[in-house]
Amino acid sequence: MEWASQLCENRGLGSKMTDSKYFTTTKKGEIFELKAELNSDKKEKKKEAVKKVIASMTVGKDVSALFPDVVNCMQTDNLELKKLVYLYLMNYAKSQPDMAIMAVNTFVKDCEDPNPLIRALAVRTMGCIRVDKITEYLCEPLRKCLKDEDPYVRKTAAVCVAKLHDINAQLVEDQGFLDTLKDLISDSNPMVVANAVAALSEIAESHPNSNLLDLNPQTINKLLTALNECTEWGQIFILDCLANYMPRDDRESQSICERVTPRLSHANSAVVLSAVKVLMKFMEMLPKDLDYYGTLLKKLAPPLVTLLSAEPELQYVALRNINLIVQKRPEILKHEMKVFFVKYNDPIYVKLEKLDIMIRLASQANIAQVLAELKEYATEVDVDFVRKAVRAIGRCAIKVEQSAERCVSTLLDLIQTKVNYVVQEAIVVIKDIFRKYPNKYESVIATLCENLDSLDEPEARAAMIWIVGEYAERIDNADELLESFLEGFHDESTQVQLQLLTAIVKLFLKKPTETQELVQQVLSLATQDSDNPDLRDRGYIYWRLLSTDPVAAKEVVLAEKPLISEETDLIEPTLLEELICHIGTLASVYHKPPSAFVEGSRGVQHKRIPARAGSGESAESSDVGQSGPSEAPPAVIPSQGDLLGDLLNLDLAPPTATVPSVQPSMQMGAMDLLGGGLDSLMGDESDTLGGDIGGSPSMGAGLGVAPAAMPTALGIAPAVGGGLGDLFDLGGGVGMPTGSYVAPKTVWLPAMKAKGLEISGTFARRGGIIQMDLTLTNKAMSVMTDFAIQFNRNSFGLAPAGPLQVLTPLSPNQTIDVSLPLSTSGPVMKMEPLNNLQVAVKNNIDVFYFSCQYPLSLIFVEDGKMERQVFLATWKDIPNDNEAQFQIKDIHLNSDAASNKLQGSNIFTIAKRTVEGQDMLYQSVKLTNGIWVLAEMRIQTGNPNYTEMELSIKCRAPEVCQFVFLCYELVLKN
Amino acid sequence: MISQIFILSSKGDHLIYKDFRGEESKDSISVFYEMVTALSGDQPPVVMSHKGLHFIHVRQGGLYWVASTKTNPSPFTIIEFLNRLAALTKDYCGSLSEKSVRMNFALIYELLDEMVVNDFGYIQTTSTDILKNFIQTEAVSSKPFSLFDLSNVGLFGAETQQSKVAPSVAASRPIMSSRGEQGGKNEIFVDVIERLSVVIGSKGVLMKADIQGEIRIKCFLPTCSEMRIGLNEELSIGKSQLKGYSSAVRVDECRFHQAVKLDEFDTFRILKVCPSQGEQTVMQYQLCDELPCAPPFQLFPSVEKDYVNRSVNLSMVLIFLKLRCDLPPKRSVFILHTSITPLPLSILYSMSQELSSPDQTAELQPKNKALLWEIPRFPGGAQLSALFKVDVPGLSSASLLEVGPVSMSFELPKQTCTGLQIRFLRLSPTQTGLSQRWVRYVTHSDSYTIRI
Repeated sequence: MEWASQLCENRGLGSKMTDSKYFTTTKKGEIFELKAELNSDKKEKKKEAVKKVIASMTVGKDVSALFPDVVNCMQTDNLELKKLVYLYLMNYAKSQPDMAIMAVNTFVKDCEDPNPLIRALAVRTMGCIRVDKITEYLCEPLRKCLKDEDPYVRKTAAVCVAKLHDINAQLVEDQGFLDTLKDLISDSNPMVVANAVAALSEIAESHPNSNLLDLNPQTINKLLTALNECTEWGQIFILDCLANYMPRDDRESQSICERVTPRLSHANSAVVLSAVKVLMKFMEMLPKDLDYYGTLLKKLAPPLVTLLSAEPELQYVALRNINLIVQKRPEILKHEMKVFFVKYNDPIYVKLEKLDIMIRLASQANIAQVLAELKEYATEVDVDFVRKAVRAIGRCAIKVEQSAERCVSTLLDLIQTKVNYVVQEAIVVIKDIFRKYPNKYESVIATLCENLDSLDEPEARAAMIWIVGEYAERIDNADELLESFLEGFHDESTQVQLQLLTAIVKLFLKKPTETQELVQQVLSLATQDSDNPDLRDRGYIYWRLLSTDPVAAKEVVLAEKPLISEETDLIEPTLLEELICHIGTLASVYHKPPSAFVEGSRGVQHKRIPARAGSGESAESSDVGQSGPSEAPPAVIPSQGDLLGDLLNLDLAPPTATVPSVQPSMQMGAMDLLGGGLDSLMGDESDTLGGDIGGSPSMGAGLGVAPAAMPTALGIAPAVGGGLGDLFDLGGGVGMPTGSYVAPKTVWLPAMKAKGLEISGTFARRGGIIQMDLTLTNKAMSVMTDFAIQFNRNSFGLAPAGPLQVLTPLSPNQTIDVSLPLSTSGPVMKMEPLNNLQVAVKNNIDVFYFSCQYPLSLIFVEDGKMERQVFLATWKDIPNDNEAQFQIKDIHLNSDAASNKLQGSNIFTIAKRTVEGQDMLYQSVKLTNGIWVLAEMRIQTGNPNYTEMELSIKCRAPEVCQFVFLCYELVLKN
Repeated sequence: MISQIFILSSKGDHLIYKDFRGEESKDSISVFYEMVTALSGDQPPVVMSHKGLHFIHVRQGGLYWVASTKTNPSPFTIIEFLNRLAALTKDYCGSLSEKSVRMNFALIYELLDEMVVNDFGYIQTTSTDILKNFIQTEAVSSKPFSLFDLSNVGLFGAETQQSKVAPSVAASRPIMSSRGEQGGKNEIFVDVIERLSVVIGSKGVLMKADIQGEIRIKCFLPTCSEMRIGLNEELSIGKSQLKGYSSAVRVDECRFHQAVKLDEFDTFRILKVCPSQGEQTVMQYQLCDELPCAPPFQLFPSVEKDYVNRSVNLSMVLIFLKLRCDLPPKRSVFILHTSITPLPLSILYSMSQELSSPDQTAELQPKNKALLWEIPRFPGGAQLSALFKVDVPGLSSASLLEVGPVSMSFELPKQTCTGLQIRFLRLSPTQTGLSQRWVRYVTHSDSYTIRI
């Protein structure tokens, strides 16, 4: 059609000139020419000139020199020209702030214009000019526009508040715009409501604790009404906002669900998915036996299915979300398996997602169908997809036990095709099937062995070697097979070498007579000719085992292996909970929490699913463990009993040569005056003192008296400054913890149980750093080296922040004190009891396991002081059911002393009130995972010698209350 | 919350760039272009991230439509929005190409401003009805609308097969063209488009079938107060409803454009809508598993191994395909592509073929391991057959297992598989004489697979 347009231009038929010519010229003196045109009297010419300027701007030319001339064109009543000028202004105001001021007068004037379009345009543009100077002038016009009679202006102004807040948050608060914005939620125009909600949501996100979006049943009702009337985009804002609301009870939850459900049939898939999010969240509160619950489940399926009819891009996003939904509530889509069958023309990334969902939905009922499909996929052209399909068959076998036999025969069929990569993948998954169902399908080994020669990928070779080694007694020519691999030993990858070594040792243990030569050959290959440390180490271990105690070797090498389960690829429940709250957002596509990819404080707020009322599941879903950002990719979740397996993965890396954070010698931070650092001050005597003041048995007696003598001021003194006083006190023979109370060390691991290693320890929090103070004593006869430590997942994600610094070998009868800094960014799993910590310590002798309990005050953070207002609101906000009452008797402290003491452990007193001879203290505590604990303490005054304290603790996660109380008791009594 | 929006040509030229929040610099454009061109085949291209900035893009009209964001917004919203932006650009500029975007940059900037109210990246509206109140710039059409173009309106020509979306060719002119003057005709197009995906098992059993359908309107009427679209009265919705003996038309689920009023839908199956200018989908529906009619094609394949010369193990694959079209005799299919993938090909191969009529063609595509059989026109009730002999040296009988499914792509004009029909199309108040109404039906194959 090129010719047509040319023809048309030539003939002058196209009376208008096209815009594209603006892009073409780059003549010299262009700016000059434009300047002249901009100052022309003719409106048309001016407009053309501004268009040219904007075209240059788009392609990246610098036309800022024309700023004054363009601004001059602003005073016009031609709306098109005005819009163009505004467009220009927005782009350049930031680089030319002084010039922008020139335009302010016109803006202010335009805000009074009778035409609402111009009023909105002016206020909108002013908001976009991110120059501080302009913001002062913006306030008045903005205030007017927020109350404008025209909804178009109001909705524009609403968003403008958010913009202004981004530039100058304080100004917005001072000017009271936030309240006006809140009023707009009740506006008569739904679009205004939607924009107000969007603006408030964004502002609230940057202030997680402000009660800006104070949702209550009335406002919810208003939002739901506006929902039915506003545009599709507005509906998305409102639905996303609704998803943050916590309904009071299941009835309210149901009524919201009922009103949101019609959105599921909206044509805009974004609306649909936002509605799904709201429903998924609120469903949690509905009792499962409710009829409505079943209805809702049924209603959710069709819209999700429909999402799959969109373009591949949307399909992909939908599938990522469905993957989450299926993990949370498989019952929704259990009958829709067929939808996820792959179409031949799907893009590969859609195919792979579908495959994943198919396996998640696989059950006994549909397994035949799934297998038939997978078998078809395994013969497709795309190699990647075929590999995944073959693996999927293996995963089905592991997931659905009844289907295992069928899966194995399907895999055998595939092996028959002799297609190289299919065979290799099949062998890899058959290995897993053998692990899951030992001694069941060994009859197929013969078939596998036929394909030995075609295996060229390390993973498949390793799998095959494993099979041969594991079932050596059933394979007549196992030694020949393994020998054939051994020929090219040095060319194999490490994976294969390791596997070959193990397999031959297994073979030797099973058939010792015939294979002695072979095993010697492999051991020497591994230990002498290899420079891979892993391989060498393993070789030596086997060698020594075999030479010292063949029976033990048999026990070790042929030990029973832990079973594998299908759960290995599920997303961790806590992460899943959070992702469910982020359905339809980027988080759900990445399968990462927003904190992992959004910079700054925004989006770091952790959302959680409301707990179901009065159901056994509530404890699980309101898990305290929904703590700190876990940036780890979705990992294997061990069941709680699986500690051993988990700890076996102990990182065996030797201690690195980094600068030790704490160490018994001279290096010590100011923070650590209390810890190992004291040793050096006290010289050799520190051995008898035990290093840590709190922990030393000889000091223990003195400690009991200490609190009474404690100067009140000291409790508030920062930890560093306290060091001096500390030393002073020490001279007086009394140890005084500056910060929080540190319990004396207790024996965690008796020497009896750990081949001579005795570990005692305690926990301390010093200046915001959590430390685990350990005393290691060698009660064995040999030297101990190579210490390493690892924690099992625990409720608050405690994990070592560095390696265990025991640099010198621990000779017999030597004792060493180590302080291990801890972080709270480790993996999270709720423990029983909550503060339980399971630890593995390794040395050159063995790996030892013990568990200990830490005081909850360990994870009370320093900035745990809540604003008074926020305290009040939060106190009200937490349901009374979550309140727990405790009594503390036999405390000899008045309220001031108590609050000082508590402050040392990061329990902050926010307010004090005296009512009828009783002191009431209001206190707040913040845990490292962001959970707030509020407390009200009642102290009988008057009689300082005998005080009874009543404590009521409120927290959104009621499980912690008991442990917080224990901390109170511990701190106040010591 | 969208941070930036930009449109790039396929070569990476900046056509439109707009920054809504001042969070990022213009450099992100080139970052994006580098990332998108370096993407390998199996990576999902939908969302890409670079140093905390996330790009979401779609490709339409050969252009990249990109939004970037720093927060955690809904990618659905953004993809929908970008698609909508492209559709609107098409509505306003007539067609979607690098040229039309270049020519109308001022208009697109204005559109963007109003859609997102350049407001901090909050999407405001995408409805042409509302937008037309605000848009000042006039569209510049790259292709002046003339009477000659009406030839395209002639229902589905062969070229529509290529473009997957049948009706767009019919009306590629700006909806707002030439304000004031009476340009174009007062036309309204209503299209019922269905996409059929079918999987037929190796024994001829229907394993999976579903239909995705939609009713689309493209409206050129400057003002139109209300339009009533009557669907089949016996249309039933949902799985649970009992089917009578009548030939009821059934769909599982439907979704409606939010402008559609449904007060007469339940009883009379009438959609009431005030169409705004431009293109819009008023109803989407789907039907899973139960087709009301037999699938349009039946295939009787046979794949065998034969020896050319047994002594040197020179073998070949014999593929015999018999294809029957089960449509009523008066109907026919345009352009049927039938392909078999994969074939167990080795490096050496050759093929001989016997086709039942001269206008058909067959081709072996060794790169894709595919055999392609093309039938330009296939009348209903007819039966065609083809015999292919592919020489493959050293073929094992196991590799016959590998011979893959047959997939077909085709277009069935003037019919819907669900049987959904438009009974009537009434405009009220009746437009003065000039208005023309077009109702068109088409069924595309989305994915039609027959396993061997």
